[in-house]
Amino acid sequence: MDSALIPEGADRCSFPKFAIGISIVGAVALWGVYAMFLCWFKGLNQTNMNDYYGFALWIWADLAVIAVGGGAFFTGLLKYIFKVDELKNIINFAVIIGFICYSSALLILAIDIGQPLRGWFIFWHANVHSMLTEVAFCLSCYFAVLTIEFIPNILENRQANKVPFFHHLAHNMHGVMAIFAATGAFLSFFHQGSLGGVAGVMYGRPFAVREGLLIWPWTFFLFTWSAAAFGPCFTLMVTKITEVITGKKLVKDNVVHLLAKISGWMITTYIIAKIIDTIYWAMVTAPSLGFKMSHFYTNNSFYGYWILVTEIVICGVLPGFLLLNKSTRENPTTRLIAIVLGVIGVCLNRWVMVLQIMAVPVMSFDTWALYIPSWQEVATTVLPVAYGIILIAITYRYLPVFPQERELNQPRVDQ
Amino acid sequence: MIQDKKAHKFGMVIDLDKCTGCGSCMVSCMSENNVPFKEDESRKKDSITWMRVYKLTNGKSFPDTQVVYMPRPCQHCSGKGGHGHSPCVSVCPATATDYGYDTGIVSQIYTRCFGCRYCMGACPYHARYFNWWDPKWPEGMENYLSPNVSPRMRGVVEKCSFCYHRYQLAREKAYGEGRDGIEESEYQTACTTACPAGAIVFGDLNDPSHMVHQIVKPDPHPDPMNKYVVDKSRNPKVFRLLERLGTNTKIYYLSEREWVRKAGDNYLDGEWDKVKNHHGSSSHE
Amino acid sequence: MKVDRRSFLGLGLGAVAGVVVSPVGLKLTDDSSIWTQNWPWTPVPIDGEISYDSSVCNLCPGNCGISVRKIAGRPVKIEGLDGYPVNDGGACLHGIAGLQYLYDPSRVRTPLRKNGDIFEAISWDEAISFTAGKLADIRKSNAPQKLACITDKTQGSVPGLFKRFLTAFGSPNLYAMPSLESNLELTAQTLHGSGNTLGFDLENSDFVLSFGAGLIEGWGSPVNCFKANASRKERHAVLYQVEPRLSNTAATADKWIPVKPGTEADLALGICAVMIKNNLFDAANFKAGFAKFAAMVQIEYSLDKVAQTCGINPGEIEKIASLFAKAKMPVAVPGKGRGDSGQNLKEFAAVHTLNCLVGNLNKTGGVFIMAQNDYLSFPEAVMDNVAETGAGQEKMAGSVNDLVEKVNAADKPVVDALFVYNANPCYSLSAPKRVRQAFKKIPFVVSFSSFLDETAMEADVILPINTFLERMEDVPSQAGLAKNIIGMIRPVIKPVFDTKDPGDALILLSTALEGTIAESFGWESYAECLESVTGNNWSSLSEEGHVVISEGAPEGVPEVDFTFLATNPSTVQAQGEFELTLIPIDNMHLTGAALTVSPFALKTVSDRVLTGTDIVVEINPATAKGLKDCGDAILTTPVGEARVKVNFNEGIMPGVIGMVRGLGHTFDNKFVSNKGVNVNDLIGPVIESGSGLDAAFGIKAKISKA
Ligand SMILES: Nc1nc2c(c(=O)[nH]1)N[C@H]1C(S)=C(S)[C@@H](COP(=O)(O)OP(=O)(O)OC[C@H]3O[C@@H](n4cnc5c(=O)[nH]c(N)nc54)[C@H](O)[C@@H]3O)O[C@H]1N2
Ligand SMILES: Nc1nc2c(c(=O)[nH]1)N[C@H]1C(S)=C(S)[C@@H](COP(=O)(O)OP(=O)(O)OC[C@H]3O[C@@H](n4cnc5c(=O)[nH]c(N)nc54)[C@H](O)[C@@H]3O)O[C@H]1N2
Ligand code: SF4
Ligand code: SF4
Ligand code: SF4
Ligand code: SF4
Ligand code: SF4
Ligand SMILES: [Mo]
Repeated sequence: MDSALIPEGADRCSFPKFAIGISIVGAVALWGVYAMFLCWFKGLNQTNMNDYYGFALWIWADLAVIAVGGGAFFTGLLKYIFKVDELKNIINFAVIIGFICYSSALLILAIDIGQPLRGWFIFWHANVHSMLTEVAFCLSCYFAVLTIEFIPNILENRQANKVPFFHHLAHNMHGVMAIFAATGAFLSFFHQGSLGGVAGVMYGRPFAVREGLLIWPWTFFLFTWSAAAFGPCFTLMVTKITEVITGKKLVKDNVVHLLAKISGWMITTYIIAKIIDTIYWAMVTAPSLGFKMSHFYTNNSFYGYWILVTEIVICGVLPGFLLLNKSTRENPTTRLIAIVLGVIGVCLNRWVMVLQIMAVPVMSFDTWALYIPSWQEVATTVLPVAYGIILIAITYRYLPVFPQERELNQPRVDQ
Repeated sequence: MIQDKKAHKFGMVIDLDKCTGCGSCMVSCMSENNVPFKEDESRKKDSITWMRVYKLTNGKSFPDTQVVYMPRPCQHCSGKGGHGHSPCVSVCPATATDYGYDTGIVSQIYTRCFGCRYCMGACPYHARYFNWWDPKWPEGMENYLSPNVSPRMRGVVEKCSFCYHRYQLAREKAYGEGRDGIEESEYQTACTTACPAGAIVFGDLNDPSHMVHQIVKPDPHPDPMNKYVVDKSRNPKVFRLLERLGTNTKIYYLSEREWVRKAGDNYLDGEWDKVKNHHGSSSHE
Repeated sequence: MKVDRRSFLGLGLGAVAGVVVSPVGLKLTDDSSIWTQNWPWTPVPIDGEISYDSSVCNLCPGNCGISVRKIAGRPVKIEGLDGYPVNDGGACLHGIAGLQYLYDPSRVRTPLRKNGDIFEAISWDEAISFTAGKLADIRKSNAPQKLACITDKTQGSVPGLFKRFLTAFGSPNLYAMPSLESNLELTAQTLHGSGNTLGFDLENSDFVLSFGAGLIEGWGSPVNCFKANASRKERHAVLYQVEPRLSNTAATADKWIPVKPGTEADLALGICAVMIKNNLFDAANFKAGFAKFAAMVQIEYSLDKVAQTCGINPGEIEKIASLFAKAKMPVAVPGKGRGDSGQNLKEFAAVHTLNCLVGNLNKTGGVFIMAQNDYLSFPEAVMDNVAETGAGQEKMAGSVNDLVEKVNAADKPVVDALFVYNANPCYSLSAPKRVRQAFKKIPFVVSFSSFLDETAMEADVILPINTFLERMEDVPSQAGLAKNIIGMIRPVIKPVFDTKDPGDALILLSTALEGTIAESFGWESYAECLESVTGNNWSSLSEEGHVVISEGAPEGVPEVDFTFLATNPSTVQAQGEFELTLIPIDNMHLTGAALTVSPFALKTVSDRVLTGTDIVVEINPATAKGLKDCGDAILTTPVGEARVKVNFNEGIMPGVIGMVRGLGHTFDNKFVSNKGVNVNDLIGPVIESGSGLDAAFGIKAKISKA
């Protein structure tokens, strides 16, 4: 039915099967869209956020998708700047995942702010001292870059590519992609960092605040580093999921091993920095403000020490080790465990840097504040996931996303 | 130390030994500033009270329990080193909240705020409130709203303004009468004038003739122990909330009771005993 | 032109580029953001000329001077009036929130008549002629004494007019709700003879021994008490607070003396015993019964006995006695909480006896024995035969509570018609269910009320009354204020709804009734009446807004009569057999009786008092067996049961449960009603023999996990 659009030589499921799959996920997306409109028309009272939790589930989701979307800039950086050529086999997919993550982040922000129609004030009345201003500028520019990086892949669609203009455009864009990749890497460095800065500069919040370099608190560098480290894990994880769902091998093992190895090095170096940062914060920064470390971890079972151990050891040190070690890296099971743990770890880090900050009391007579998101928050947070699945399904079906797909899946006899 | 005679630094001292927790200041503030109300205001985490009175206890058991009430308006933080980068102002991406270098007042521009709530996360005093709902008054009740303070729309943050409109009115009046400055009594906040116990003293911390200056005796030198802390009080009975963070609040609290002064900040075990006696300030008159 | 794919795409791209580059997008974006700043559903207050009116607040007996800021004639803010002799500037939260009463959603906007279960709006003419018709029938039956009236207080021209109406009609049955003032008058009458009341010179005293008086919880003239309390620090005056719970007053006191609930009188008499034994008293003015009293306390209130009863160690009692006796200007203050409900004469008399013993009567910083106000001069009411006979009868009951009992006990209606003015007995008396039952048995109830509250809901006709912001009234100071001041309420705005001054409503009614009743109300309006009855004081009242009748210590040493206490009247016990005692808590943020809390004031109430629609009771963790802090529980007393939440409070005596007074309203107002429990529903009346006061200071209770 839609075979004219499907990349040449690629094997895809029947259109009705595809349509059914899309509509199931689409129903989930519609639920999210409904919640989104509720939030826009009735206001943020639809959420369970409150004056203690001004930042909550959404901002976590925002930071988390941006962190895991870091695979795009980092892979781009390696491919185009450091000329790690094998990565060309996964770069398209990394870019698509990045595009999904960043468009989702922008959508979440548009729901999250109390006055969506005034969102552009962040540019118009920009305050240069605010990390969020930096985030907004870099995020928007980087999204534009990602779009540009995504376009050639779209134009490679079998029908689009027949239009000579598009064909040439795609070709030429590939040619100059290094410039965009460099720009993207630069922008990413800043907005990943400034997201970390958002927390680190809150000197009224001893759980968040960090010393740093010039105007940048250590969290600035840690966020960039962690996005670069764990972003590829997410790319690999989604690749793996796509392979399982399509029942096909899409990327060659050497490419996967290479990206996993790079990720392993990044994770390990990151986690060392993170451990040093945590120790310095716990031993120097917090005590100088009158806080024992236990203040932050011992009131309720939710924000206990387990969360720190899980983030740093189980989801940091362990995946780092598993990916550095050749045998565990090349063993599909341990590699999968490592990348899943890594993704959980970076998401947990973003959770802690958003939610736990809000939960910890600062005034000696204040109380811990816990919150449970409303269904509207959950639905709008699930929305990007559904949207991502749909977009991946469509791009996979109609675009030549994986250059090695054909080679890895020899044409069947009947073709 | 040279001080710009023109620049005010408005602030308060609240005498916690006088405060009865009666809530007049809270209601006066709500009434003065068109603060809305809704059906259930018992969820304090979404109840807009620019002035909030906290109840503190000494944590001891019967019959040694003690209680004190701590009124908490916006602390009008001057930020690290007193440079105007208060925790909330420095983070606002849209410059919707601003530090007035001529008054020391942290303002909030409702029509510019787009409701990102970063400022709320940054403020450790929970002095900022978000309009989760459209403000609604029962039919006819909007007739008591004051035109001096615009009612806020849904989706923006609001907070204590030190009754800035009262400052404007006082200035206009002085200007109309051909006077240069305003008198201490001409600009007083609604919570101050309402307090039946006279627990709140408001004025210009920069002006030695003002009561607030005389009680606080702000130290002209930064705290030698922490370069970010300025304007520490030289009155040993006076303290600020979370002074060690370097927020440099302009709300000072006064109490004879040591446990109350200790509750104003966080201390590691044994730390308080080292600082309590010269806690007011490191330098003395 | 042939539109092929290429030109189509070209045009499309061109159009997109055009829109992006053109100012249309910018303009729309800008417009939409401006629109969010001017949402039509967010009100824009109208600006105009600023003016200030001064008046007096009568939301409570404090009668503070207020200044009302108006914009273009619209009141926008109430503040305390600087220089006013009661409050000099400050105001309490209820007064400051006063404008919320003006536009209260539960205000009665027009006269109402009950038709079956619902009220229908009628005109004033209809309401007056309907009511007058019903009343005329009662007079025709020659039993005019069967018209009864409940008011909030007895002083001032408005209660005066109600009294006059009843007299001209032919009924002696006027009853005032219990109040601190009435308790003080009864105390003064018991110890110093009738016609007196007590004033406490707190602002000059150097040692205040308070027996639970909520000096910063609404006792007396609240703002005046706040100021006196706040100035203690500068004056180096000391406050000792005796009560079972660490109230805010106890928290600011120099010493909190926890005492078992209901044993305050024992402690006071025990201190009397120590003072007498150690000759720490001044007997200059003692008349009847002192010797007998002195002997009685040594036996019945010996140190060990009292220590045992009150749960205080004997050494401490002796120390308090000696500090009190040796202070320069000591004063002992009776009246737990606000001092109005659940009080007993024995306790008031016992505490005041401390003042008598220490010799601080009519001395600066002590207690002033003041003559009751008599600044009003009403001409004699004109009475016909029916009125003479009716008004000459004995009063049907001794108090509002007694009236309720009598109505409920009788088979046939003993009251044919009832007026209720500025009172809410169907909420504020203990066990209000029985009050509503009595109201249902009364064939015709007329409510003079501004709000459709619990009592107004029980009425057959509601005559809507102006709030204090819309009317004129003289308000004499009371409730223990050590000055005699007449304040003048002046309208700051024209009535917002179709309401009238209570005096005008009475004049209309009397005119409709014709004859001698009309003759007794021969004024054109209440304003004219007020001018004529206030006589010499009118010019100051109308010009200054108040008159100071007396200030400072009165002359002379009053006589003290010990007979009442010398007989050692029995102490009121809490009803029931349960192990714990439930006591009501008076909280400044809430209102006790006369008035329902405003939305603003309710906003200041802690979530440890009210959470959602659940009331939170206080209990010492040591007593809270099996309960969890913040958990749900069932509280049971001999008269009722309620679902509550629990707040562990180290500041309440073990064995005691505290429940705030002022919640659990049931009328239609989503902001303040149907929140929590009315503590009165859990407490039955306990009548003190002799005084007839409902002395239920609390009730035995049990609490268990829900
Ligand atoms: N068990 C128990 N008994 C009590 C008390 C208690 O707390 N518990 N309290 C005692 C005390 S302190 C009192 S005062 C009485 C309470 O008795 P009241 O003082 O009589 O109390 P309410 O009837 O509730 O008063 C509320 C009424 O006041 C009227 N009102 C309010 N503002 C205005 C106004 O400006 N003008 C006019 N005309 N009317 C107005 C409204 O009609 C409303 O219905 O009960 C006493 N008895
Ligand atoms: N914070 C706070 N404060 C409050 C309250 C609250 O809820 N919160 N409640 C307020 C309320 S509702 C009340 S009712 C008050 C209590 O106070 P009210 O209920 O208002 O009582 P009074 O006004 O004292 O009414 C009694 C009056 O009658 C007069 N009187 C009594 N008997 C006689 C007599 O035989 N002859 C003459 N000539 N006069 C007589 C007394 O002089 C006195 O003035 O407390 C008020 N204070
Ligand atoms: S108290 Fe909070 S809102 Fe006020 S200036 Fe300080 S940080 Fe800002
Ligand atoms: S919520 Fe408003 S004031 Fe606060 S940071 Fe965001 S834009 Fe600024
Ligand atoms: S200064 Fe004004 S705005 Fe601030 S708390 Fe006081 S009354 Fe409210
Ligand atoms: S008005 Fe005064 S006494 Fe009452 S709570 Fe506020 S500061 Fe304290
Ligand atoms: S104390 Fe009483 S009279 Fe004074 S302002 Fe408050 S309610 Fe009004
Ligand atoms: Mo009352």
